[in-house]
Amino acid sequence: MTKLIFQGCLSAKHYESTCKNAVKIIHLLDSEYQVIENPPCCGSLSFNMTSDEIMKKHVEFVNNWFIANNVSELVTICAGCYSYFSRYYKEFLGTEFKIKVQHLLQFIAKPEHLKKLNLKINGKNLKVNYHDACHLRNPSNPIIEEPRIILNSIENVELIEMEFNRKNSLCCGAGGGTYSIFKENSDHSAKSIFDNMRKGKILLTACPFCYTALRRIKEINRITKPVIKFEDFLVNIMEGKEVFDDQ
Amino acid sequence: MINRGKDLYDELRSRVDKLKEEGSPEKKYWDVWKLGCVLKARQHDVRKLYNDTSREFVEKYREQLIDMKEHVLENIDSYVEQTIRVMRETNNFKVYYADTNEDAQKFFMEELGDSKVIYKSKSNEAKDIGIIDILRKNEITIKETDLGDVLVQLFDYKLPSFQIGPGAHFLIEDIVARIKEVHGVEIKPKPSAIVDFYRRTYRKELLNEVKISLTSANAISAEEGTIVLGENEGNISLLTRATEKHIVVCGISKIVPTILDAVLVAKTQTRINNVPFAYINLISRPSCTSDIRGINVLGMYGAKEVVVILVDDWRKSALNKNIIYRDFLRCINCGSCNYICTASRAFGNIFASKYGWGPTAIIRDYIHNGVESAVKDGLFLCTGCENCFHWCPVSINLGEIMKSIKKEATKAGLCPPLLKKYQKKILNDKNPF
Repeated sequence: MTKLIFQGCLSAKHYESTCKNAVKIIHLLDSEYQVIENPPCCGSLSFNMTSDEIMKKHVEFVNNWFIANNVSELVTICAGCYSYFSRYYKEFLGTEFKIKVQHLLQFIAKPEHLKKLNLKINGKNLKVNYHDACHLRNPSNPIIEEPRIILNSIENVELIEMEFNRKNSLCCGAGGGTYSIFKENSDHSAKSIFDNMRKGKILLTACPFCYTALRRIKEINRITKPVIKFEDFLVNIMEGKEVFDDQ
Repeated sequence: MINRGKDLYDELRSRVDKLKEEGSPEKKYWDVWKLGCVLKARQHDVRKLYNDTSREFVEKYREQLIDMKEHVLENIDSYVEQTIRVMRETNNFKVYYADTNEDAQKFFMEELGDSKVIYKSKSNEAKDIGIIDILRKNEITIKETDLGDVLVQLFDYKLPSFQIGPGAHFLIEDIVARIKEVHGVEIKPKPSAIVDFYRRTYRKELLNEVKISLTSANAISAEEGTIVLGENEGNISLLTRATEKHIVVCGISKIVPTILDAVLVAKTQTRINNVPFAYINLISRPSCTSDIRGINVLGMYGAKEVVVILVDDWRKSALNKNIIYRDFLRCINCGSCNYICTASRAFGNIFASKYGWGPTAIIRDYIHNGVESAVKDGLFLCTGCENCFHWCPVSINLGEIMKSIKKEATKAGLCPPLLKKYQKKILNDKNPF
C-alpha cells in the first residue's frame, strides 16, 4: 500500500521549496511516504462552479487514480486539498472513498512525532501569531488545535492568539476563486489579518491560498512583519536557520 | 451564454472600481463601513454592558434558538393557525394570510384605502414582501421615521445601506448643509443639533398626523398573538401608538411559540449588535379602555386598529421542497453575518441588492428575482469562507447556500470567464495551471 504526500496544485506550481520542506519533515517522521508525479487536482477550485453530477465524475477520477496507485493514506500539504478531501469526497463517494486523509499539521502534531522532532529555538523567546485558515477550520474534522500543539511544543516559542482566532478567524479574501477575479477582496481582508496580529513578531499560515494573499499584501503595504508557511518555519528551526526567513 | 458571464463580470468590475474613486458614493460608504464593521466585530468582547460577551451569549443560546426555530418550521401550519386564531379571537387584530407577495400587496393597498401617505419604521420584511415597490408604483408618499432612513431620504441616496445604521455614512457637515438646502434651517454641525432639529420638527408630525403606520416585527408569539418590536429611537413607539391604524407586515417565519421565545430573539438581536434596545414593544391588542361601565371600547389614546398581514410567498415551498435556502427560514435578521462577511467588509454596499446588503440580501434577491440578479449583486465576490456560518446565532450556512447559487449561475452561463477557464482546466487537464 502507498502512503502518499499530496502536495496540491498551487504549492507544487508556486512554492517548490515549501513542498520540499514539507516532504523533508514527513520523511524524517515516516520514510514510507512518497510523492507521485502529476497527481490530479482535488477539484477544490471548481467545486463552487460545477454541478454535482459533473463534480462527482471528477471525484471518481481522482479516487480511481488513488486506487490505481494503491494509495491507502495521504498527507496533504495544501489546506484546500485537506478541506475538500475530508469534507466533500465522502459526500460524493461514501464508503467508496477509503483513503485516510491527514493534513500535514495533523500528522506532525502526533506526540511521537513531536518527540522525535524535539524542536527548540536557541536564544530569546519568540512570539508568533498563527492564522487559522478557512480551509482548515471549516471541515467537519477541523485542524484547529494541532498547530497550537505544535507551536506550544517548541522551546522558546510563544503563541500569541490573533484577535479573531479558531472558528472565528478572519478570511484572507482569496478563497472561492475570488483572488483570480477580484483581488480587492484580499486587499482589504489580508490587511485586516496583519492588523489582527497584536504582539506577534511573525505570522504563520498553513494555507497556500492565504500565504499568496498575505505575501502580496505585505509587499504592497510594506509590512515589516514576515509571513511564513508553517513547514518553512519548522524546517528553519530544525536546520538552525534564521526563523524569520520567508521565501 | 459565456458572453453574458463576461458582461456581468465587466459590470461588477466597473462597480468595484468605484471603490477606488475618491468621493464616489460607494467609496464614501465603504470608508465608514470598514471602520464600522471592525468596531462592531470587536464589540463582541466589550463587557461594559453585560457580564458575558455577545459571543458567549450566542454560544449559550444557539442550540435553544435553533431547536425553537426548527420546531416552528416543522409545525408551521399549526403555528400559523394558532397565531391567526389568537390574534383574531383574543387580541382584536384584523389578520390577513397572504399566500404570495402579490396577495400581501393587494391586502395592504386595500387597508391603505384613500390615504396617500404612510409612515414606516425600518422594516426589511416590507422590502422582501414588495410593499415598498407597490407603494412607489402607486405614488404613495413613504415617510421614513428611523433617523438613519430619514437621512437616506433627505439625501435621496439610492444605493443600499446598512440595515441597522442606514445613515451612518453621511458626514455631519453634509447633513447640516442638506438640511439647510431642503428645510431652509441653519443648525450647528453637531449630532445633538441634528437630533434636536428632528425632535423639534418631525416629532410633532409623528404625534399628530400619522393616520396609517407600517412596521414589521422582530418576532411574533403564537401563544399570545403578540407582536414584538425592539427599537432605540422611540419612532416605533410613536408609530404604533399615535396612529389610527397600525399595519404589521411580515413573513410567517417570524412566528415563534411563546412570548419568551420572542424576547429571546429580540435579546439576541441586541446582543449581536451590542445596542441594547431602549424599548421593547409587546403589542397584544389595539388601544382600549373599559373605564366606562366596564364596556370595552377600542382606540383610546393608541392605535384604533392593528392589522397583521402574515405572508408565506417563498417560505413554505422552501420548507416543503427543501430548497437550497431552506435553512434561511431560521434567520432572525440580527445582522451578524454582515459584520464578519469577507465580501461585505471588502466591498461595502457593492455586495448588496435592493433588499439590503450582504449575503442575506443577495439570497433574497435570488429567491425573488432569480440567479442573474444574484450574480449582478456580486454573488461571485463571496469567498465561501463561512464566517457567516460560524458567527450565526442560528447556524445558517449562508456560505453553502451561496455555493449552490454559484453552481446554478455557472450552469446558466453567468460565471466570470476566468473562473470558467479554471474549471475547464481542472475537469479536462486535471490541473488548474
